[in-house]
Amino acid sequence: MSDGDLGTPFRQRAGSAMKDAFLQEALTIATTKFIGLRREAFEGFPEGEALRDRARAIKEATLQRLDHHLETLVGNVERLGGQVHYAATSEEARSIVVDIARRTGARMAVKSKSMATEEIHLNEALERAGITPVETDLGEYIIQLAHERPSHIITPAIHKTKGQVADLFRRELKRPVEADPEVLTRIARGELREKFLQADLGITGANFAVADTGTVVLVTNEGNGRMVTSLPRVHVAVMGIEKVVPSFTDLMVFLAILAKSATGQKLSVYTSLVRGPRRAGELEGPEEFHLVLLDNGRIAQLGGPLREALYCLRCGACLNVCPVYRQIGGHAYGYTYPGPIGILLTAMLEGPRSVKDLAHASSLCGACADACPVRIDIPRMLIELRREVDDKKIAPWRERVVFKLLALVLARPGLYRLAARAGRLLQRPFAREGTIRGLPFFLDEWTRTRDLPVVARRTFQERWASEKGFTR
Amino acid sequence: MTTKAEFFAGIRDQMRKTSGLFPASVTTRPEHPAAEVETIRRELAERWPETLETFRAEFERVGGVFDRVAALDEVPAVVARIARECLARELVAWHAGALGADLVSALGARGLAVHEMPADETAAVERERLRAIAARADLGLTGADLAIAETGTLVLVSGAGRPRSTSLLPPYHIAVFDRTALVESLRQVGVFLEAWHRDAAPPGTGAVINFITGPSRTADIELTLTRGVHGPKEVHAIFVERGIRG
Repeated sequence: MSDGDLGTPFRQRAGSAMKDAFLQEALTIATTKFIGLRREAFEGFPEGEALRDRARAIKEATLQRLDHHLETLVGNVERLGGQVHYAATSEEARSIVVDIARRTGARMAVKSKSMATEEIHLNEALERAGITPVETDLGEYIIQLAHERPSHIITPAIHKTKGQVADLFRRELKRPVEADPEVLTRIARGELREKFLQADLGITGANFAVADTGTVVLVTNEGNGRMVTSLPRVHVAVMGIEKVVPSFTDLMVFLAILAKSATGQKLSVYTSLVRGPRRAGELEGPEEFHLVLLDNGRIAQLGGPLREALYCLRCGACLNVCPVYRQIGGHAYGYTYPGPIGILLTAMLEGPRSVKDLAHASSLCGACADACPVRIDIPRMLIELRREVDDKKIAPWRERVVFKLLALVLARPGLYRLAARAGRLLQRPFAREGTIRGLPFFLDEWTRTRDLPVVARRTFQERWASEKGFTR
Repeated sequence: MTTKAEFFAGIRDQMRKTSGLFPASVTTRPEHPAAEVETIRRELAERWPETLETFRAEFERVGGVFDRVAALDEVPAVVARIARECLARELVAWHAGALGADLVSALGARGLAVHEMPADETAAVERERLRAIAARADLGLTGADLAIAETGTLVLVSGAGRPRSTSLLPPYHIAVFDRTALVESLRQVGVFLEAWHRDAAPPGTGAVINFITGPSRTADIELTLTRGVHGPKEVHAIFVERGIRG
């Protein structure tokens, strides 16, 4: 496993996040704010609900003819003078990008925020090859200086105070820095402006890629996406295959709901439609354009149980509304993609073994599915994942035995009645005021984080049986 | 390394396993987008004042500064006033052909150092030099190919005489537009994009179309809104009532 935060078990990671008072406050403020902004954006946009249905249908329709749309995209990118590369694994993706960097003699690469390049751990590979990667999204820049990982898809440094950021800048830039977001932003602008103008290589992800026109679409608020695609002499875009949309007409449907779901803006500040390298007469633009199509577990899910997770736009709306994310934040999940959708994406990229604990890090309340702009049924897939980790004997044997027994009892009324009677006897030493707060042996796995209601003095079945004489 | 053939074979293998989650179709594209563009333009010729008003409100909501002049010859005075307010001395501008008007001498007469960007292909060294000028300039002056009322967005197509950097590198950006650029909705923008792609010539021949919705912003430190992180910290739009190209 390549992620750095996985030395400790999930429960411990979640536990320490919940004891981190600053993190708790930051999470509450940020997620509450995003929830409000998103709600307002959709309240003022009556056609939004129909557009969400449309967007969902486009995603499904695109997957149904994915080979066709990707072929079209490839043909158009090549026609425009770009080169397309195919990466089955994150390792292949890394070596494709590193090879391009080496061949073009790049020393420094500027990057705009991209989950796909986080996912393949590109920065480490570039560093090993002697190429300096520079994250240029302010949040990502902070995270990179701190040698951490993003904790939120949209605001990666959500867990840091301005004081911590100022300390970081002071240490890295070796000069006094005031702990004021305005000042800190200005310093970052100056530092990164130099890098934009010097860098040989620009690396981006892709929010969308329009098949029909060979266009890579980048959405940013800061303008770094524009810098990265305009100033360096080589541009590499790394995209998951599911990011393809058929036409500009389809693209506009997604643009109308993406920013509203993410930050509550009607549109993000910059949406850039990039079609290949610099054209004659242009002052800026790369001489070379490369598109890396990334599989890394996605293709296997086209016909797999996680297919619907391929609709995801990476807006972060499901994180903000998730009662678990709101308590533990992004790092506790331990992988590139946090939150409810992150559990599914982690299972997709790393296999079901990676989510044996995470599959249970959800209350299945359904808030994520409500907030999702393309209405991904996340709870349905989480339940399926739970079944899978059980079926494949990935879950601990005690857990599997307990659930097997439970299934056995629940399916047999006679056994159930017997169990209820036995339970009433056995619970006596543990029941206090109608609840059981602690159970012995390994059963405390259940009661450590939740109370168990006691078996009623008279069960529903017993009451039903004794009141049979009751007539309407 | 995975080849294209292997990659696509893998995709087709998986696609054969399922007919999908539910019957679905992509969005129907306009059959004759150029004709639809004309229809949109014709309809807007009637109701452009309301569209402009919506644009102004939305543009201001995202932090833009809106100005309105009766005719093109009033534009230099407004640009000069904005330059004075933001202490700008050096200005980069799209080529007169791309702006639709020659404002260089009028702006020069008002004490601004104006660099007009070339309309033709230039050598790499010259491109480097011009980019350095854009990087140190205080103010960038561009046109706008579309102005979207629904979102307060300016759409700029790159190309010869219309560099991407003019609206990106200087800390202040001014876009001059008229009612031929106005559209109501993102849906209508889709029609324009389809038309530019298929049968109508796009306004610029460059590789990039930029949607700009207000000044560059971030909220990455404690969710505090800060402007001008990488792109301009102020964006101005000047609407010319009588039309730019006469």
